[in-house]
Amino acid sequence: MSDLNQEMAERYKNNFLKEIEEQAEMGEWVKMCMQCGLCSGSCPTNFHSGWDHPPQEIFMLIRAGKREEVLNSEGMYMCTSCYNCYVRCPRKVPVTHVMHGIAEYAYRIGRAPKAQPTLHLSKTFWSNATKYGRVNEVQLTQSLYFKDGVGAGIKKGLEMKDVALGLVKAGRLNPLEALGMGHKCKDIKGIHAMLAKAEELEARNKAAKGKE
Amino acid sequence: MTSIVATNQTILVVGGGISGMTAALEAAETGKQVVLVEKNPYLGGRTVQLYRYFPKMCHPTCGLEINLRRLKANPRIQVLTLAEVTGITGSKGAYSVSVKLKPRYVNTNCTACGECGKAVQTEIADAFNYNLGKIKAAYLPSSMAYPQRYVIDPSIIGTPDAERAKAACKYDAVNLDDQEEVISLNAGAIVWATGWQPYDASKIVYYGYDRFANVISNVEFERLADPHGPTGGRILRPSDGKEAKNIAFIQCAGSRDENHLRHCSRFCCMGSLKQTHYVQEKYGDAGKSTIYYIDIRAIDRFEDFYQKVKANPNVSFVKSKVARITEDKDGNPVCNGVDTEGYVRYANAHDLVVLALGMEPSVKGVEIPAEVMSDSSGFIMADPANAGIFGAGCATNALDVNRAVQSATAAALRAIQVVNKVARAEA
Amino acid sequence: MADTKTAAYICKGCEIDKRVDVSALVKTATKSGKMNLVREHDFLCSAEGVAMIQNDIDNEGVTHAAICACSRRAKTEAFNFPTIAMSRGNLREGVIWIRPDTEDARETTQEMAEDYVRMACAEVKAMQVPPGNQKTGTVKTLLVVGGGMSGMTSALEASKAGYKVVLVEKTGALGGWAGKLYRRVPTREPFKAPEDNGVADMVARIEADSNIKVYLNATIAKTDGAPGRFKVEIAIESGGIAQEDIGAIVQATGFSLYDANKLPEFGYGKTPNVVDQAGLEALAREAAAAGKPICRPFDGQPVKSVVFVQCAGQRDASGTHLQYCSGFCCNTSIKQAMYFKDANPDIDTVVLFTDLRTPGNGEDFYRAAQNKGVIFSKGVVSSVTPSGNACAVKFKDLILNEDTEAQADLVVLATGMVPNSGPDLDQLSEANRQAEGGDEAAKEQVVQLMSKSVLNLTYRQGPDMPQFKHGFNDSHFICFPYETRRTAIYTAGPVRRPMDILQAQEDATGAAMKAIQALENAGLGKAAHPRAGDLSFPTVRLEGCTQCKRCTVECPFGAIDEDEKRFPLFNESRCRRCGTCMGACPVRVISFENYSVNTVGSQIKAVDVPDEFSEKPRILILACENDAYPALDMAGMNRHEYDPYVRVIPIRCLGSVNTIWITDALNGGYDGVMLMGCKHGEEYQCHFVKGSELGRYRLSKVGDTLKGMNLETERVMDLEVAITDIATLPQKINDYAALIKSFPPSPFKGF
Repeated sequence: MSDLNQEMAERYKNNFLKEIEEQAEMGEWVKMCMQCGLCSGSCPTNFHSGWDHPPQEIFMLIRAGKREEVLNSEGMYMCTSCYNCYVRCPRKVPVTHVMHGIAEYAYRIGRAPKAQPTLHLSKTFWSNATKYGRVNEVQLTQSLYFKDGVGAGIKKGLEMKDVALGLVKAGRLNPLEALGMGHKCKDIKGIHAMLAKAEELEARNKAAKGKE
Repeated sequence: MTSIVATNQTILVVGGGISGMTAALEAAETGKQVVLVEKNPYLGGRTVQLYRYFPKMCHPTCGLEINLRRLKANPRIQVLTLAEVTGITGSKGAYSVSVKLKPRYVNTNCTACGECGKAVQTEIADAFNYNLGKIKAAYLPSSMAYPQRYVIDPSIIGTPDAERAKAACKYDAVNLDDQEEVISLNAGAIVWATGWQPYDASKIVYYGYDRFANVISNVEFERLADPHGPTGGRILRPSDGKEAKNIAFIQCAGSRDENHLRHCSRFCCMGSLKQTHYVQEKYGDAGKSTIYYIDIRAIDRFEDFYQKVKANPNVSFVKSKVARITEDKDGNPVCNGVDTEGYVRYANAHDLVVLALGMEPSVKGVEIPAEVMSDSSGFIMADPANAGIFGAGCATNALDVNRAVQSATAAALRAIQVVNKVARAEA
Repeated sequence: MADTKTAAYICKGCEIDKRVDVSALVKTATKSGKMNLVREHDFLCSAEGVAMIQNDIDNEGVTHAAICACSRRAKTEAFNFPTIAMSRGNLREGVIWIRPDTEDARETTQEMAEDYVRMACAEVKAMQVPPGNQKTGTVKTLLVVGGGMSGMTSALEASKAGYKVVLVEKTGALGGWAGKLYRRVPTREPFKAPEDNGVADMVARIEADSNIKVYLNATIAKTDGAPGRFKVEIAIESGGIAQEDIGAIVQATGFSLYDANKLPEFGYGKTPNVVDQAGLEALAREAAAAGKPICRPFDGQPVKSVVFVQCAGQRDASGTHLQYCSGFCCNTSIKQAMYFKDANPDIDTVVLFTDLRTPGNGEDFYRAAQNKGVIFSKGVVSSVTPSGNACAVKFKDLILNEDTEAQADLVVLATGMVPNSGPDLDQLSEANRQAEGGDEAAKEQVVQLMSKSVLNLTYRQGPDMPQFKHGFNDSHFICFPYETRRTAIYTAGPVRRPMDILQAQEDATGAAMKAIQALENAGLGKAAHPRAGDLSFPTVRLEGCTQCKRCTVECPFGAIDEDEKRFPLFNESRCRRCGTCMGACPVRVISFENYSVNTVGSQIKAVDVPDEFSEKPRILILACENDAYPALDMAGMNRHEYDPYVRVIPIRCLGSVNTIWITDALNGGYDGVMLMGCKHGEEYQCHFVKGSELGRYRLSKVGDTLKGMNLETERVMDLEVAITDIATLPQKINDYAALIKSFPPSPFKGF
């Protein structure tokens, strides 16, 4: 995949803003930012662990042509889609979507960091949800708990035991999901067909956009 | 019945703030007949609710005194207070205007001796002080109020309090039978100078204006700083009456924001810079001000003022739009956000937060004649069709006092152009 | 003038009669006041009370009335008798409302009230109803100097109101700076794209307007006279002189761009690829005319990247360059960036700014530029250097907090506005002084400064408008932006204050309004702001004049010249009726009908000064009528008490205080004199501009007089008062009274 990265870098030379505008979904909004910092301050994850670059700074980096710094950043993967930034942005920039667009683009050209937890969650969630047509919560939880090894998974599972039992008692969690049983959607084949069609359309759109 | 002498050579000025007064005075001092209509019981508008003006730090009542003296000396201006225009028909050079007059319950016999105020027991919210205090229901809005006549609040009409006011008056000035009336008058040209209102702060949800007592607006802060305001000029925070010495000013509260006001309100940067002077004036080095801003818009020679404030070690500037306000356990408002100059996160507790609310035209939501054009923010626009109705002051744009007066002076000439044409035609 | 008949009216209302013995006041007015007619009334401001006075005027022939009731600021609609001379004795706000209602206070309160009755009687007897000057000029033509956007607007708007206009432009074409613009910043919604500069349309309207007479390639050679009767000589293209009679003047001489040659650090002059905003407009016009894209001056190649440097030589705290912000340049750079983006979206346009200043609807324009792809970076530029065929711009990116560099084919410097306001009068008068002393360099400087003169006024105080900050002819007043120190001459547009075209047009319309008003009032003999409509004017007894020139030098408005015999020559329609000349005159030959050395002096003398054994000092307060007197009034309305031994006389301005009043008071046995005037100095609040400053300067010399009289210097106190000192002023009065009481009684009592 890294050859796509190379290809894009060469195609846009120093114009990273143009690259983002054309390649990343909602990238055309980057130029509208006026650097007030409301998005960065509004982010609920802001005080949890901190990011290397918050949204407004990522926008500025893009405008300054700092391709490597942006693509190496973890900033855009940190978004939890709470939409605080989007609803508050005085320029009505869809910050949430732009961040996802940049993350998706970085992933597409092979620049997403390995073992990025949010990325891992997204991928896991996607394959889980598309497999059954709805989320299999037990399997999703398992794959997240055990991502760093069996020992860590068991430890985490024991920590959360009470919560899990409570959910089971309340009828909110079906242990049989671990075996692939439990809720499923009725027409799983139909869902798969729809997803395949959507992917085909998106690929076509992206190819067309790249040619502009 | 109130009678007004007005013809097609009369200029009607709607709004008795500094813009309306200026338009009226400039026209009258050029020999024109003017009717000045004001919805409050007194003239002066929002300027007289300011403690000081930037950049001179002088007092708005000083200019008001001169304008009132001009007005008192000029027989060509007829003033209607507690009055609102309710309809306009006709066209340029020949308008017919209906004006609704609310009862004041006090006639011109009033000497402002104050006996009715002493007699009345009911207290009402003090609108002049943005409801930060209480006043008697028979009151003189301020010491500078013109007309210098008391007002009886309609809420006590029909109660024994009203009778007490009447009984206390030795001059037969209290008229409890005063009725609302609608009068009609002619005018050749109309100047629309209805001013502005602060943006509704509660709509900026993340600043918690209606949840946190210690988050107040810039216009309210003016009253707190004014020695004749509800706190006697002490900057006391609303939650516990404690002296607020560490004060945050949040710029663009509503302005430059497509979710709120699209325009830049122009005056608020200078307004907050001015208000840091109040903090310095009251507390010296013990007073600290922090201005959170996107761009400091201290245009033209106001830059001098900005540089002076910047040089004050008790004032700090953070280039950031505060993202949200929370409250700590001591009731201190906490500003949360990111300093964009180099990406520094902050969660700063202050004693008080002042929102630099933007300017919204008062014409918004009020029915004005169809031929008056307004832009998408609601400000009156210059009309290419050249009708006989002209905007003046903050009804036309977000302006500071100085520029509002300029605008009103220009509007006076536009109105004079119309009535002079009428005069030439009638001659 | 008909026979004088004086009357005093004493109101008993608002509890005056409960607090003082009104019958004693009637006696005072009759005996000490020597009024021909004295009446009391329960409610003087009532329709009945007013009718009583009017009846006396109509049927009893009363010509002078002392109304002893409330303050002169109250009940002005009721006590409105324009045909007679009237004074107001302030028994309410000035006496009963500032004194406690106690048995102890009764005697001193009564004395206070009696003094105010005596003072009102004395004052009105010294007053006359001003008849209005019949000699003023009635020319109704407006002169507009400068044919740019502001000047053209003033001319068109004045014409539309029915006035004739003479428009003088020094170049060969109307349009000024705006005419050189390729496009202008939008003036209407949706504020998204540059629009036509609008000049051609205005020029066409002016040419078609029979009210407007245009002189091109012309300058003002001489402006003589006064409002309503200016004689203006215009140096015209042929080399001759045209004469015009003018009523009032609008000076709209615009601005020049700050000289970018002073900014070598930004590469100006080192490479043609660095231009100022005017340079870019020229490039854009050239390109449009040739139907080509905007090209790089260095090699004529189309520009692919542009950097705009905001605040170039502006907002400079070091004092080297312009200290102010010119206000228009952010929008101009945005507009110029659009020239490129609208033609070719692939051209890189970067605006480097520290604070982007796009007030009002400018915010829409800013957003539109971003939407077109203009990049805005908060950064401080340190240098621009030639780099190959292009330029290298070094700057600190304030958001990313790093030093960085950008390459650009073209760099546009947003230099600011420098007003075309003529010579600085202070500099000129200093040069004149030195030149008179024979200094050759100074003589040269005078010639050089005079060559910059715009108006060439023949005024004693200099050829042009006094300047305010940074050379602009702005007003110092927030509430009165058009106030100038030369009556009926108004500046408009960027010569007054940095501004954009839209504001300049609004400003020019307002200036035309003021000019029209000034010429109308000049014709009626009425004063201009702030004593608008005052029909009095200064008269001088020339036989007593010693030609000391103090009046001509001090007049804040340059109203007084000197005639060929070196006597002061009053130009009434230039006068603003502040009385500074009257205060300055050492031989007291200047007076107004309704305000004179005598109207105040007789009040001072009318006060009953008890002997030295009574332990009742007397303190005179001379209070500025605009700020101090209203503050005292409102102290009364709020029932703040103050010392009963003070006697307050309102004055027009501290500048009008003649020191004779002070010496008369001290000689008459007063124990102290307090002068209350407005703030002076840089942030002055005096509405006669220099009045309070001049008054204070004069008073600073009173110390010698006091020493000569063997009195403590503290016996005269100068206090700066603002209208809002409502609560603090009584305290200051009390403190001063306490100080005076700590001194022995004045040794002059009883003489």
